[in-house]
Amino acid sequence: MEAASIPAAHGHDDHHHGPPPANRSSRVEPALLGMMLFIISEVMVFGAFFTAYFFIRVVATGHTWFPVNGHDLPVAVAGVNTAILVSSSLTLHWAQTSIKNGNRFGLQAGMTATFLLGLTFLFIQVNEYVHIGFAAQDNAQATVFFSLTGLHGAHVTIGLLLLGMVTVRAYKGHFSPEHHQGLEVPGIYWHFVDVMWIVVYTSVYIL
Amino acid sequence: MTVRVRQPGWTRAAAFMLVGFAFSVGISWLVRMLYGHGTFRHYLEAESFVLISMFVLPFAFLIGLGAFDYWFYWAAGRPTRPEDHSGHGATSWKSYFYPNTDHKVIGIQYTVHSFFFLFVGGLMAMLMRAELAQPGRQFVDSNTFNGLFSVHASILIFLFIIPVFAGLANYVLPLMIGAPDMAVPRLNALSFWLLPIAGVLMLASFFAPGGSFASGWTAYAPLSTSAPLGQMFFTVAVQFAGASSIATALNFLVTIITMRAPGMSFFRMPLLAWANFSTSLLVVIATPFIAASQFFVLLDYALGFNFFNAAKGGDVLMYQHVFWFYSHPAVYIMMLPGFGIVSEVLSVKSRKPIFGYRMMAFSLLAIVILGFTVWAHHMFVSGMQSWIRVPMMITTAIIAVPTGIKIFSWLATLWRGVIRLDTPMLFALGFLTMFTCGGISGVVLSMIPIDIHVSDTYFIVAHIHYVLFGGSLFTIFAGVYYWFPKMTGRMYDEKLGKLHFWLTFVFFNLTFAPMHLIGVKGMPRRVADYADQFATWNLIISLASFALGISTLVFAYNMIASWRGGARASANPWNAMTLEWQVSSPAPVFNFDQVPTVVGGPYEYGVPGAVHGIFGPTAPAEAKPTPAGTHGQPPATE
Amino acid sequence: MGEESTRAEADPLGGRGSRRAIQQMVIVGLIASALGIALGLAIDWFPVQGTKQADKIDTLWDVLIICSVPVFVLVTSVVLFSARNFRMRPGEEHLDGPPIHGNTRLEVVWTAIPAIMLVSLCSYAYIVLHDIEKAPASGTERNIAVHGQQFTWTFDYNEGGKKFSSAQLYVPEGQSVHFNVRTRDVLHDFWVPAWRMKIDAVPGITTSYRVTPTRPGTYPVVCAELCGLGHAFMRQTAHVLPKAQFDAWVAKMTKPAAAAPAAGGGAAPAVDAKALFTQGEQQTGATACGACHKLADAGTAGGVGPDLNAVLKGKDAAFIRQSILQPDADVAPGFSKGIMPATYGKLLSKPEIDAMVKYLEEVAAK
Ligand code: HEA
Ligand code: HEA
Ligand code: HEC
Ligand code: CUA
Ligand SMILES: [Cu+2]
Repeated sequence: MEAASIPAAHGHDDHHHGPPPANRSSRVEPALLGMMLFIISEVMVFGAFFTAYFFIRVVATGHTWFPVNGHDLPVAVAGVNTAILVSSSLTLHWAQTSIKNGNRFGLQAGMTATFLLGLTFLFIQVNEYVHIGFAAQDNAQATVFFSLTGLHGAHVTIGLLLLGMVTVRAYKGHFSPEHHQGLEVPGIYWHFVDVMWIVVYTSVYIL
Repeated sequence: MTVRVRQPGWTRAAAFMLVGFAFSVGISWLVRMLYGHGTFRHYLEAESFVLISMFVLPFAFLIGLGAFDYWFYWAAGRPTRPEDHSGHGATSWKSYFYPNTDHKVIGIQYTVHSFFFLFVGGLMAMLMRAELAQPGRQFVDSNTFNGLFSVHASILIFLFIIPVFAGLANYVLPLMIGAPDMAVPRLNALSFWLLPIAGVLMLASFFAPGGSFASGWTAYAPLSTSAPLGQMFFTVAVQFAGASSIATALNFLVTIITMRAPGMSFFRMPLLAWANFSTSLLVVIATPFIAASQFFVLLDYALGFNFFNAAKGGDVLMYQHVFWFYSHPAVYIMMLPGFGIVSEVLSVKSRKPIFGYRMMAFSLLAIVILGFTVWAHHMFVSGMQSWIRVPMMITTAIIAVPTGIKIFSWLATLWRGVIRLDTPMLFALGFLTMFTCGGISGVVLSMIPIDIHVSDTYFIVAHIHYVLFGGSLFTIFAGVYYWFPKMTGRMYDEKLGKLHFWLTFVFFNLTFAPMHLIGVKGMPRRVADYADQFATWNLIISLASFALGISTLVFAYNMIASWRGGARASANPWNAMTLEWQVSSPAPVFNFDQVPTVVGGPYEYGVPGAVHGIFGPTAPAEAKPTPAGTHGQPPATE
Repeated sequence: MGEESTRAEADPLGGRGSRRAIQQMVIVGLIASALGIALGLAIDWFPVQGTKQADKIDTLWDVLIICSVPVFVLVTSVVLFSARNFRMRPGEEHLDGPPIHGNTRLEVVWTAIPAIMLVSLCSYAYIVLHDIEKAPASGTERNIAVHGQQFTWTFDYNEGGKKFSSAQLYVPEGQSVHFNVRTRDVLHDFWVPAWRMKIDAVPGITTSYRVTPTRPGTYPVVCAELCGLGHAFMRQTAHVLPKAQFDAWVAKMTKPAAAAPAAGGGAAPAVDAKALFTQGEQQTGATACGACHKLADAGTAGGVGPDLNAVLKGKDAAFIRQSILQPDADVAPGFSKGIMPATYGKLLSKPEIDAMVKYLEEVAAK
């Protein structure tokens, strides 16, 4: 949401009474800076959840990790899912480069692909929950598993909403080689969600 | 009517909230059906849909009020309304009850709203003191009492101290750095409107079955995860308050970094800007942790997760680590902006440049960094791994060094000044002494063997109030009096102001100083009843605290009366150099006709021919540059 | 502000900032610090010193007072001096102070001195911490398991293989005691102010500290971590006894425990309900009713629960029994659930409860 609002805040030239144009005291794009800072606090949110993970896996008395009483994590399925999410980052990058070169088809195709890949990831994740065979209420390990993956799932959902808007606008003919910031900013967010998943996957499933 | 409902505003908000309520009930009904809790009695069982509405209603309200409209238009890819600044600036008092994109309106919304909650929280303190006046039970049972101090603290921290600083900064900071507005005005509006939600939730908890949340503002698990429904009001309220301060912090950072006036290098910023810069860094990095900690509690409480369920492998101390990793930095979030205010007031009122400007800025950053390395000093007796204690003791004590640098530099700023002893200055000086006192008791607490004895006693309560009241609140009063002319265009009543200071100063000490003693003597905190040996002191404390309460009423009267009928204020009554004083009082709706050019430091008092900002169309890019903090002249006879 | 002259040029402060004035300030400051320190040391801050550990901690406190007072006095006196001597006088409305921007030497000084002070204080505190936590060089150390639960403490002993538990804490004088603290529900905190030491009782883990009681007498045991409604009432008593008396107490505690199974069902000794009311049940750790209830007949004056003289008027046995077994079933007006322990059903034997009900019924009848 932060990202979405920024273009409205500046850059409109007032040919009517309004505030004086603000002085740009820094080379960085306000929208990007805002998104970067927002991502810092997002990283901290995950940080807190990883603290929980660390305490329950390492510190707590009688600490263990999966397999917990017979239940193990579907590492392979999740691995495939990881591949899907990573590829969605690539397609997004494709979309971004194409619009920079004014290739609208590339933009639309790229965005659609990214959106669908993201959706597939989410679907597989939910499916995994359904068939995993244990519940968050069973023990602390399960709690951590569901919280971390769930937190990430929530971020994927938000990311998808943003991407959805961008896709809609892409088809409405918005964006141009000059003005594609509305695509850049959600883009950063999606890449962040992506990187975050790799961290979650390695720490929860693999390690 | 239908028009009113379509228009953003309170009617639409009300309508949406009704819908939201129905929705919440529906959802909880559906879920319970699916999970087979299907007997009619349980459909409408309070817990579930109250919990859901706690999240749904606020958004229904915000959407109804129109806080999101613009983004919806934008997101839907519809042509966004051309910038007509319809939502910018106040046309009448009514404008203050709608989302507004003007940082000055938002600043006033914040400030007034926060002070309302000072009185609410203070009133609860009064009730607590009435109960504590004598041992045994007087007015309230232990449940209500635990609720009182929990809500007292939560409200004063999350709805007074933190937001009121954001409010003052909201008003003056863009002016100070020569920006026409904040970087993201609509986000700014949203971050204010998140606060009333948090406030209403916290107060509403008193009506919850089983009473308000009563596990202290620290809400330690597993007490909080096994508490009655009231606890959830805290858990959720904190999410909104937290979101609000994160949003504001992002806004401040982007504004300070990208919107400074030409020529205003970082080392020409007023220290208030520096203070809010450091504070915002703290907020952005730390606040997610309290959000998470309360989220864990929510999950444990509502869905039976096992974060803090030791029986199933959960870890109870993890809560305290996550909580304090936010809440210690939070105490600096509640102090650094005050440091900024004091720097402004002291330099202007003693007509001297800030002594050691650069060290002032760097010590702020030092506190930010050190602030993240000390959280476990709240856990010396928590039973955590004992090796963590000593490193934390050292870092904690070391924080006194950068803080000391600031205190001493302020003293040096006073030295040989031409000191105007008016209300803002009195509060600033009061702050210097009282905060030093509270800080020193903090250093005493950081010494583990002492803390083992006095932890969770009234010695802590004394420390809390010396730093939060004698520290933060004194700076807030100083700031409010100092910028009152700018924000309202009126002068406050100097006599009443001085009266307010002396009453507050005296009764503040009478109230909280004895707490050090009874604490060390062995009176634990958070108790409605206590051993008879403490009766006398508690009676004295209670009486003093009532007087302290009354003194606050003097302030309230002064503010209201002066705002309505005070003498008109000139643009620059303190003839200060910083930019906010170079524009009319109250500041014009778009701040400047043309962004000024900064050519020198902000505190060059007494420097012959020094200029800070140049207005007018033809500003020379660089006039005689005299950046602050250059040790230009050899100090006189220091 | 440019055109204004500074006070430095206009009028040299008329001696208000002169050396003499500053010397005066310094002298006043020194006297004030001396008085402050004297006062700080004169005040008797702490409860009685009940342990070896207490002495060391109290000394650390005195050192901290001696270091802190001068710091506070320094800040205060500079503020007061400036307020008095540099205050704007009539006719100075347009003056500025001298444009002093800083002084590196000063800044180094007031960074270094506090730093040195604090580091040395930390080292000293570390030494004290080490001393108060280290195991006794010689002599036996007794382990006592402390159980916190809403809202009472139970103390489990293991004396020469004989295990028993008590609601009141008894320790011998002059021997080191090592407490292993656990909780059955939420966080509590085991604190005896006279002993200085304190530690949370944390679900899932066992925390501990040790003290060497040096002073016979009885001291309050306080719960210092918010644990719910009864937090303020979670109080018991610690008895420090001379070794001989302690052994006698142990003997008394262990004997019936051994005898009980032998005695069998029939010949259970008649229960003295009044004693039970005033002293509680030591072996199972049932808190004395009198700790919370006022009852003229038993001569107790506890103020936590309802005044039984009043509330029991005309109440029947059934009600009393229920109130004891399920206190929260019906809650006395003006009181809240969960304060009266719901554990008496477990902690008291059937005959004890019968006796108690009978006793209270009689009292109510009177
Ligand atoms: C504005 C808020 C604020 C501020 C600024 C501080 C500042 C400090 N606090 Fe405080 N603190 C709280 C708010 C604050 N605190 C609250 C709310 C709690 C209770 C939470 C709860 O449990 O409910 C708490 C609790 C708390 C504890 C835990 C006690 C316990 O629960 O057992 C400790 C322990 O170390 C501590 C230490 C310190 C220290 C060392 C500082 C330092 O930053 C102080 C530094 C400043 C100075 C020292 C004075 C100026 C310096 C000089 C003049 C230089 C020379 C000085 C010396 C050489 C000593 N604080
Ligand atoms: C900014 C923070 C702040 C402020 C300003 C205050 C202000 C006050 N506080 Fe509070 N307090 C805390 C933060 C704060 N407190 C915190 C964090 C805790 C820890 C809670 C916990 O343990 O979890 C705490 C705990 C706390 C306790 C300990 C409770 C306990 O542990 O059992 C006490 C007890 O005396 C107390 C008293 C007071 C008093 C008398 C004031 C006074 O200064 C209030 C003065 C202001 C007013 C009174 C309002 C204005 C006047 C009116 C509304 C008119 C009505 C007046 C009359 C009827 C006379 N506070
Ligand atoms: C920790 C404090 C505490 C202890 C110990 C305690 N009580 Fe209570 N008791 C209370 C409180 C508080 C209430 C009122 C709330 C309630 O009714 O549950 C109460 C209520 C009662 C009532 C009901 C009064 C009424 O009118 O409802 C009876 C009878 C009673 N207690 C008897 C006893 C007896 C007998 C014992 C000892 C075996 C005892 N209590 C121990 C705190 C205590
Ligand atoms: Cu047990 Cu407080
Ligand atoms: Cu702290």
